[in-house]
Amino acid sequence: MEKQSHLLLWKAVFVLIIIGLGFGIYAGSKSIDYTWRWERIPQYIINTEATTVRSPFDGTATIEKGNKLVVTSDYGDDPLVIKKFDNLLVSNGDLVFEGDPLVEVENWNIGPLTWGLVMTLQLSVVSLVFAVVIGLFAGLARISTNPALRYLSVTYIELIRGTPLLVQIFIFYFFIGTVLDLDRFTAGVAALSVFTGAYIAEIVRSGIQSISPGQMEAARSLGMNYVQAMVNVILPQAFKRTLPPMAGQFINLIKDSSLVSVISITDLTKAGREVVSSTFAPFEVWFAVALMYLVLTGALSWAIQRLEKRLSASD
Amino acid sequence: MTNMTDKSIIQARNIEKIYPNGCHALKNVSLDINRGEVVVIIGPSGSGKSTFLRTLNQLETISDGTIHIDEVSLTDRKTNINKVREEVGMVFQSFNLFPHKTALGNVALSPIKVKKKPRTVAEQEGRELLKKVGLAERMNNYPSHLSGGQQQRVAIARALAMHPKIMLFDEPTSALDPEMVGEVLDVMKSLASDGMTMVVVTHEMGFAREVADRVVFMEEGELVFEESPERFFSSDNPRLQRFLGQVL
Ligand SMILES: Nc1ncnc2c1ncn2[C@@H]1O[C@H](COP(=O)(O)OP(=O)(O)OP(=O)(O)O)[C@@H](O)[C@H]1O
Ligand SMILES: [Mg+2]
Repeated sequence: MEKQSHLLLWKAVFVLIIIGLGFGIYAGSKSIDYTWRWERIPQYIINTEATTVRSPFDGTATIEKGNKLVVTSDYGDDPLVIKKFDNLLVSNGDLVFEGDPLVEVENWNIGPLTWGLVMTLQLSVVSLVFAVVIGLFAGLARISTNPALRYLSVTYIELIRGTPLLVQIFIFYFFIGTVLDLDRFTAGVAALSVFTGAYIAEIVRSGIQSISPGQMEAARSLGMNYVQAMVNVILPQAFKRTLPPMAGQFINLIKDSSLVSVISITDLTKAGREVVSSTFAPFEVWFAVALMYLVLTGALSWAIQRLEKRLSASD
Repeated sequence: MTNMTDKSIIQARNIEKIYPNGCHALKNVSLDINRGEVVVIIGPSGSGKSTFLRTLNQLETISDGTIHIDEVSLTDRKTNINKVREEVGMVFQSFNLFPHKTALGNVALSPIKVKKKPRTVAEQEGRELLKKVGLAERMNNYPSHLSGGQQQRVAIARALAMHPKIMLFDEPTSALDPEMVGEVLDVMKSLASDGMTMVVVTHEMGFAREVADRVVFMEEGELVFEESPERFFSSDNPRLQRFLGQVL
């Protein structure tokens, strides 16, 4: 009981601190000379645009029940039926001529920030797949008994981890991209996957090495070859153990993808910059962008936690 | 040394094993084992018992000498060692069950992946084997939910699922609580009476007396002495006496 009330107390302290921080930010935002225009933001995420539907022929408009507009043609064409619309511009029994506006339909349009989010998601998913493949092979090469494979892998890992991602992106785009004639997206994906692959390789290596050698021996003694033993015995166990560091790496990948905006890929960050220049509301935009990144990383982290739970059945 | 007869299924001749760190673990060890024979190897810690056993399925390569399993040379570069290992089951001191698979999953894995048996067939055979080792009720348990003795019996069933001609046991009961030793030895005894060729490293002298056809004594990498159990335990070989004096 004593313990319980203490825990409750500390939870209350946490909530108070968060409220305090929130108030601090609010007070800070009041104290500066800045007009907040949050209402400008949503249209850059999603907006509606009205399009007008016009009559294709001369005829008579009738409104049937269930809010259905039917235009019967004077010349025996098939009647025009419009079931869904947002604004009605004619009344029942009106005569209409070809080209007259009949109704307005509102279309949902995806705004630039959402397009940026989609691009970031595409970049991250594609890079993730390649990074996992590269990392898996580099990690296996790293613990191979073959010195050529091992040294190649070590060289790769050290080169990549020893240089900034931003520099790598420039090299991939301006040098390798020019030599191999890569487009922006490919160059960006290549840089991100090669970069993340080096970190995944180390995670894979330590994951495999954390499995007791007895597992490999047992598998081999049952007649499995090296690949079968790896695929069926070692990697599934290593996979489970490496999930938490992998999750961290995947989240880093999503965040790192913001750096490719320097080679003019319109990802979420670049979209944010463009929206700032058209709204003059930088604070709101960057808060919105941060929130959108959080949605991505939060969803990923949640999905991996679910997976971890499911895999813990054998513990 | 026993004569080489056409009955011997294992022929190990003049084996030397020097580990990369320079440790000379086996010194001119020769041993022939006949089909259906149960050979128990005893000896002090570090005498090379495990090393010798592991050379028989090439978990350790040898530095010199020859090994034939069922007339297939293990030192021949053309030999597919995976095929040999299908014929030679091994049971480890630390069980080494696959923790991500259920008992049945452990037993069925290799028949499915190596022998390419359909899953339903492999699982049916797996259930039979688990029944045979007394684990009909525990088939869907993960190893972490099994006692040591149960885990070791699953490990035996897993090795048997490949229908081996030879079974190697490396101190199969040493990691077990005393009350669980019996259930594992019982499974091994019934296997022996089914005519399985077995090589067993163990400190269970009772098992050696009761089940073995031959007992081998190793010390400091050498095969010192081999005899039938009756003669073995009544021998006055001084090195053996010293060892038996310590363990009994
Ligand atoms: N992987 C290895 N590398 C180097 N030396 C080793 C290795 N494995 C075993 N040895 C050495 O080889 C010798 C024989 O070891 P082995 O494990 O075969 O003995 P054992 O008879 O099985 O002993 P125990 O009863 O303790 O299991 C020991 O001196 C040991 O230190
Ligand atoms: Mg040993």
